[in-house]
Amino acid sequence: MFGTAKLIMVGIMVTGLAGGVAYTYKLKADNEMLKANAIKMESAIDEQKTLIENQKKDFAQILETNKQMNALINNLKKDIEALDKRFNKDDRDIGKLAIEKSKVLERIINKASDKAARCMEIASGSPLTEEEKNATKKSEINTECPSLANPNYIPY
Amino acid sequence: MLTLTIFLTSCSSVKELSIFKEEVKRQPLALEKPTPLQMEKIQWIIVTSENAEEVFKKMEEQGLDPVLFGLTDNDYQLIAKNFARIRNQLKIQNDIIDKYKEYYESEEETKE
Repeated sequence: MFGTAKLIMVGIMVTGLAGGVAYTYKLKADNEMLKANAIKMESAIDEQKTLIENQKKDFAQILETNKQMNALINNLKKDIEALDKRFNKDDRDIGKLAIEKSKVLERIINKASDKAARCMEIASGSPLTEEEKNATKKSEINTECPSLANPNYIPY
Repeated sequence: MLTLTIFLTSCSSVKELSIFKEEVKRQPLALEKPTPLQMEKIQWIIVTSENAEEVFKKMEEQGLDPVLFGLTDNDYQLIAKNFARIRNQLKIQNDIIDKYKEYYESEEETKE
């Protein structure tokens, strides 16, 4: 009777001990896994930080690009207004001028036409010449499109 | 009881954390920008009722056909403005392409 009870008790103890050892091993393995996960989490946090930084840079670049494009559009509008002004300044009538001073006006519009053709080339991607880049005086600029042809010219 | 507890707790083991980062980049389109325009020089001739004869005579002397394609002074102004608008549009489109390239392709370069 006692023999059987002892055997059962020993059995339970051995099973418990074995379970305890297995559980310890499992905890050890879990611990390793948790450490590995923590490292991965840290690197994931770093990556997220880099991502946020890059997004900030992107937003800044988008804002700057929009600003530049708006400035370009405004300058181009000014060129059109200047052209309009040249035709209609002080009630100017180029028809009358053409009758009165045909040769003079012909020379003026041919010069303007050459300048406008150069503007078209620049707008299509032609690089600026040194002369165009360095122009700062009214007499040096391309009056048809100073905003495109003469980046250093400040209207005065 | 102890054995049961050990076996039950063993069911909830810590799983390995997996982070997915699979990004396959598209091949860049890499289209070449078109060659800038090279405009032809054109000659405007002003013809009035007074100088018409003289102009045609001069053209014949220069071996040109005595014919002109005309515009009124108002239409001349309009064609000048139309060209200015086309030019502005061209410039804006060109700059937009450049800005897109700068935004997307400079990022590629920095990553490489």
